[in-house]
Amino acid sequence: MKAFVTTIIMGFRHYFRDRSSVFWGIAFPLILMALIGLAFGRSDSLTFSVGFVDQGGGPLSQGLHSGLEEVPVFRVIDETDQAQALEALRKGRRTLVIVVPPITSGQPVQVFFDQARVQDSQTALVILERFVAEANLRLSGAPQVVRIHTTGLKGQRRLRFFDFLLPGILAMTVMQTGLLGVTYVVAGYRQRLILKRILATPVHPLVFLGGLVGRYALTNLVQIAIIVAVALTVFNATIVGNPLVVAGLMIYGTFVFVGIGFAISTISRTAESANLLGSAIHFPMMFLSGTFWPREFMPEFMQPVIGSLPLTPLIEAMRAVAARGDALGPYLPGLAYLGAWGAAAFALAASRFRWE
Amino acid sequence: MGQVIVDVQNLFKRYGAITAVDRVSFQVDRGEIFGILGPNGAGKTTTLEMIEGLRVPDGGTAVVDGIDVRRDPRGVRARIGVQLQEAAFFDRLTVEETLQLFGSYQRTMVAPETVIDRLQLQDKRRSWVMNLSGGQRQRLSIAVALINDPRIVFLDEPTTGLDPQARRNLWEVIASFRGEGRTVVLTTHYMEEAQRLCDRVAIMDHGRIVALDTPRTLIRTHAPRTTVALTVLEGEVGYASLPGVRHVEVANGEVVLSSTDPMQTVYALMESSRAGQIGFHQLRVEDATLEDVFLHLTGRRLRE
Repeated sequence: MKAFVTTIIMGFRHYFRDRSSVFWGIAFPLILMALIGLAFGRSDSLTFSVGFVDQGGGPLSQGLHSGLEEVPVFRVIDETDQAQALEALRKGRRTLVIVVPPITSGQPVQVFFDQARVQDSQTALVILERFVAEANLRLSGAPQVVRIHTTGLKGQRRLRFFDFLLPGILAMTVMQTGLLGVTYVVAGYRQRLILKRILATPVHPLVFLGGLVGRYALTNLVQIAIIVAVALTVFNATIVGNPLVVAGLMIYGTFVFVGIGFAISTISRTAESANLLGSAIHFPMMFLSGTFWPREFMPEFMQPVIGSLPLTPLIEAMRAVAARGDALGPYLPGLAYLGAWGAAAFALAASRFRWE
Repeated sequence: MGQVIVDVQNLFKRYGAITAVDRVSFQVDRGEIFGILGPNGAGKTTTLEMIEGLRVPDGGTAVVDGIDVRRDPRGVRARIGVQLQEAAFFDRLTVEETLQLFGSYQRTMVAPETVIDRLQLQDKRRSWVMNLSGGQRQRLSIAVALINDPRIVFLDEPTTGLDPQARRNLWEVIASFRGEGRTVVLTTHYMEEAQRLCDRVAIMDHGRIVALDTPRTLIRTHAPRTTVALTVLEGEVGYASLPGVRHVEVANGEVVLSSTDPMQTVYALMESSRAGQIGFHQLRVEDATLEDVFLHLTGRRLRE
């Protein structure tokens, strides 16, 4: 027990005395967050998702639909069910929901928006109203052919870009520790015969290796706490989910990616080659798995590949919990898949582990 | 004394086609400083690491303080101090932290200050390992080997790469282990180190022990001749017929005689000089060393 605890404490000190690990573990994710925030931070107000529910509005409905599609900032999504569309609105996936009633009812077109997302909703409504006014002007013979009626809904909350980005950055940091940190450190320890030194003592090897994993869990938690603190204060990001669940997810992710790092370090001969192999896996995963933007942005044929990456389920679960406050339940299969990666990695590492 | 604390029988290790250690046997007595002398690649480190339980032998046994290393390697490691050749430490831990960390891996541990004082590392207590000199790092390495207050200390090439001053300092430290009742097993390829420090020396070459005894006996048995060297200014005598001389080498006015009776050889040279047959200066008489023993036994020099 003393050996385990001392390994963690000394490892922790050793880690934070290295400026490069502080840079990669804390400063780099924050810089990345700031840059990506600058580049894409406003894009969520440049296009608005408009849910379109046609309840049998006939030609009016078709005219409105094709007219809306002409508006560049609107992305029109056809919905069949009003309740589902409104649920999507509450979750923040739609800016407006337009419901065209049956032609015979004589009711006005219903427009729903999220009261919490004042800025986006109002902008979109203004654009919609102008569009309707123009349409009516063109149909000058019959004033007020299209009448709209707006209703504000109380959505869950407003998902800002940084709220979306933060969980991705955190998951990326966890992965980075495993793929860029563990690979280099463990292969380096072997190359420089530090592992052999440990072997030359009576300590059980698993105590030392367990201490190493524990140290990464601890350093990751500290790094993440700092990143979150900066994100909340400087970038005004918010975490709506349970912080304990978020921390638990991060530790879980740490175990998996530390395991993958261990596995990579057993395949490579030198610290440099281990680091290179780790980077080769890290960087594509970072861009594909939805760290910085929704994975739906990637082409359709890539989706199966993206779905199979171990980082994807971690990011999806993190984002659901941290940004949307969703329950963890639906994400458990994905997390189990991630765990399988971890188990496979540790099994590979255990079978190939060499002390020198 | 005289009690066997390390008992090695027919240790054997093969790497592919190469036999690294070829049926090596020896015994080390309690309180002894035992040296394994040989050139690089002779199998010294492999032998040591099999005794320490770091390598599994392909044959033979090693019993340390009554424990068979193959049966209980961690039990052996708890009783010994191990200093490894070329092994690094954690760069950004201090000397004191390093000792605390490695102490936590032991079953018993002395206060870090004790070994820090012992190895004269007081000034470096709070320095990061990465900022230590080679000699300081080597001393830390020995301090780590002492952190569990071991009865037997294994030192693998403890002074390799050190400057002469640092090497002499370390010799003093190692020699002082004798007074503490510790047993030392060390490897070296420095003839002088083995000769000055060790009670007994095993000379190893190509995985085999070719001779084992006290340095004095080894020299007397395998290199009994003393070298008598002189720089001749004028004249000549029949060197080969001088008393005790067994071998003559002449090069550039320097005459090197191998003698079994240096007193008589020198006396005869003095007589010839007084008789005006020969004029010389710089008469040197040098005892044989373990280097000569190695040369005699293997036909090669230690550092070739």
